[in-house]
Amino acid sequence: MSNKKGQDYRYKICSAMPKKAQEEMIGFVLIVILVAIILLVLVGFSLRTEQREEVESYEVESFIQAMLQQTSDCKDNQGYLSIDKLIFGCANSESCLDGRGECLVLSDNLRGIVQESWRTENRPIAGYELKILNGEESLIPEMKEGNQTKNYKSSLSEFDRGGNQIQISFRAYY
Amino acid sequence: MKTKKAQVKTQQMAFMLLAITLFLVLAGLFVLMFRFAGIKEVATALEEKNALLLVTKIANSPEFSCGEVYGTGNINCVDGDKVMAVKKNIKDYEGFWGKGVSNIEIRKIYPREETIICELGNYPDCNTIRIISGEIEGISTENFVSLCRKESEEGETIDKCEIAKIMVSYEEIR
Repeated sequence: MSNKKGQDYRYKICSAMPKKAQEEMIGFVLIVILVAIILLVLVGFSLRTEQREEVESYEVESFIQAMLQQTSDCKDNQGYLSIDKLIFGCANSESCLDGRGECLVLSDNLRGIVQESWRTENRPIAGYELKILNGEESLIPEMKEGNQTKNYKSSLSEFDRGGNQIQISFRAYY
Repeated sequence: MKTKKAQVKTQQMAFMLLAITLFLVLAGLFVLMFRFAGIKEVATALEEKNALLLVTKIANSPEFSCGEVYGTGNINCVDGDKVMAVKKNIKDYEGFWGKGVSNIEIRKIYPREETIICELGNYPDCNTIRIISGEIEGISTENFVSLCRKESEEGETIDKCEIAKIMVSYEEIR
């Protein structure tokens, strides 16, 4: 008996509200939900791309410049070679006067410089990555240490000498 | 019947207001996100740039810079011999780098050695030059430089450059 009463009550309400108004309401709700979803997707997408944004760093740029000027213990006929000269010597497969390959000396020196300059223990620096490319090929094995986080500072230096296109890139992860 | 219709209308209006508010809030958030996106990165970069500019200005000042002495005019290259001469006559340079600068120090990074403060008696067999050795207060900033000097080997004069960090402490002027 009470069930029938309820059905009557619902019928009365439904008949009181025109069908057109109901359709309008549903349409509006659908539009709002659709726009909200689109906005949320856009917000999520832009936040994700923002995190991966690369920050150019003057500190890293200065590091590369200072690193290139470091004098190594590799000597040729003109004297001791700087890292800058060692890179091009390595690209041309040259050797020091004492017989060591310039690529080997370059790797050893760079490893030491990077390890001492960007120490990862008890520091805000989480890790680093150094790449030296000659054209498309890697001149020396890539140097990596620590964790690769989403926040990093980086710099890229390019040199063109004697047909060799050298690209030095360094990233410091925080 | 009229009361029921009015109730439905009120409900409809309330729902619409809720939906419009939600939409406006989402749209506002979206606009705010676009306006303030990257503002933190910009602020950090500006702060870093200002601090590094001061350090770079000091490193490239005629009293410190290598100039053309070590081949090409390298930037961020500090002449160790010049720095020692300045250190010797530091009283003449009081307030030269600005009243706020309380400490200037150049420390060799590679190869890693125990800290030996440079004095006229032990130079160049040392690794830290304290130009102004006041209290480290206010803002401290550092940047990579190349510390170069002339050395004599087997009767020949050679150029030797090592990677170092120049550290400057200064009080913020408001």
